[in-house]
Amino acid sequence: MNMMEEAASRLERDHVHSVYDKIAPYFNDSRYKAWPKVRQFLLDLQPGSIVADIGCGNGKYLHINEEVFKLGCDVCRPLVDFAWSQGHEVQMCDGLHLPYRDGCFDAVLSIAVIHHLSTKERRIRAIKEMARTLRVGGRIMIYVWAMEQKRRKFEKQDIFVPWNPNPHVASGFNGEHVKPRRRATAQSVSEAIDNTEKHRKVRSTSSVADEEDLSRSVPQQRTQRLWFFSRSLDSVFDFGSLAISRSSSRDLSTLSSTSGENEGNKSNQRGRGRGLIKQVSSFFSPPSVIGSEEDVFGSVTDLHKGQKDPGGNNNNTGTENQSVAVSLAQECGSWALPDLVSLQREPLKQSEDEREGGQQGEEQQGSTLSPQGSEGQVEGSCLRYYHVFREGELAELIENHVEELHVKHAYFDHANWCVVAEKVQLWKI
Amino acid sequence: MKLLTHNMLTSHVKGVSKGYPLLIKATQVKVNEVDFNPKFVSRMIPKLEWGALVQAAEGLGHRQDLPGELVSDYEQNEDFLKKVHRILLEVEVMEGCLQCPESGREFPISKGIPNMLLNEDEV
Repeated sequence: MNMMEEAASRLERDHVHSVYDKIAPYFNDSRYKAWPKVRQFLLDLQPGSIVADIGCGNGKYLHINEEVFKLGCDVCRPLVDFAWSQGHEVQMCDGLHLPYRDGCFDAVLSIAVIHHLSTKERRIRAIKEMARTLRVGGRIMIYVWAMEQKRRKFEKQDIFVPWNPNPHVASGFNGEHVKPRRRATAQSVSEAIDNTEKHRKVRSTSSVADEEDLSRSVPQQRTQRLWFFSRSLDSVFDFGSLAISRSSSRDLSTLSSTSGENEGNKSNQRGRGRGLIKQVSSFFSPPSVIGSEEDVFGSVTDLHKGQKDPGGNNNNTGTENQSVAVSLAQECGSWALPDLVSLQREPLKQSEDEREGGQQGEEQQGSTLSPQGSEGQVEGSCLRYYHVFREGELAELIENHVEELHVKHAYFDHANWCVVAEKVQLWKI
Repeated sequence: MKLLTHNMLTSHVKGVSKGYPLLIKATQVKVNEVDFNPKFVSRMIPKLEWGALVQAAEGLGHRQDLPGELVSDYEQNEDFLKKVHRILLEVEVMEGCLQCPESGREFPISKGIPNMLLNEDEV
């Protein structure tokens, strides 16, 4: 695996997979909504179709339309387990390596999934993999978070979004909410719907809910939310475009020389490579300081100052981070993200403990940013990475890089950019 | 894991060209009762790799007398459709593994869920 792949993979492991593993219990029993247009897409399928929901999460789409055979897959075990408990055929797998034979599906869903992939190349690969499993004439529906939201726009495309369980839900999850396995009657329509109605509440956690829902469910709370911007991993590896301060030139030369030697002696480079991955991953960690992208390269010392400033939490085990000059833009924006519970607007604290230990166990992973006064047990360490899409970006990605798919519809739905595309036969001469 | 699902699954270990069909090594199999929908079954049939289905059914000892080749005009043959229905949707592998026919790599099935995640070195 090359350096970029490793960094991307690590980022997704820390800020997608391990987060969902932690927060799964909170939205298994949840407040989710099946997007009407996705539901309609499923209902419009020919009876006897085979559909795959790639990144099915808790399986919220898998009960729709009993005339078609649905299967789902996801990397998150707790979510897959839950989907199974609802009577669905599900597997564990990863969207970049789908375990399905070519052309076996009549339709594929990818709802709020590929925005979690951290490089453009991986997003393309995921789409190509899904296209591979589609039969000619089959259709795929893709939903991704939009940069342009109803009232405002994310300022950057690569962001970290904190998770907080909804504070007004009384301790959310517990085992009793999980329905007993419904295997034998899974095909029965009324049972399936019954089952789901009991679980279905208002808001979606993996996509963005309506504003009406938002005001209904968070009436008293401040609607300030926080999320954090960063640079895209694609740009981190674009060494030509980075500007750095003097003190970091040593570090940069390490970075660039390694990238140049990618084709060279692997074993030699392994050790350095690993160390670099760690450094790069740490750049890409959610913010320790509030600043603007333009500031970062101008003044590394300011960054160090910022890190040392906040209260007692900050110990000096973060030297690793501090010694590296190339840092990512970090900016804290606050604006209501409909699917997230509000956080108090508190000064951000940084704790470097877990960072220092490297990527040890899953409990250690993820950002250690912990806003004060945050509710719930899984607060600051749960920051999900998103690459939010610009208008037209998803359709362009497909048109320019996935020739086996032909875009049929592109539209905006609630807070998502959506594409429906059809698999076409490619003729190679 | 139902056999209809199994019919779609393939080994995707890097370098493998003949990863289908996966060999089922079951340690626990369940048979459920699922509502019979003849239209549904007859529509599924053309989408199947028939040989892989028969092989899988046989491996589990549930082949009964499923023919090795697909019969023509099965749409009206309710008996036949019932047999297919049973093998596709009612037989379920709860525990065991799926083995790649080329590399031998085993993908575990646990609590009815196949784990098809690859390790770093297989990717």
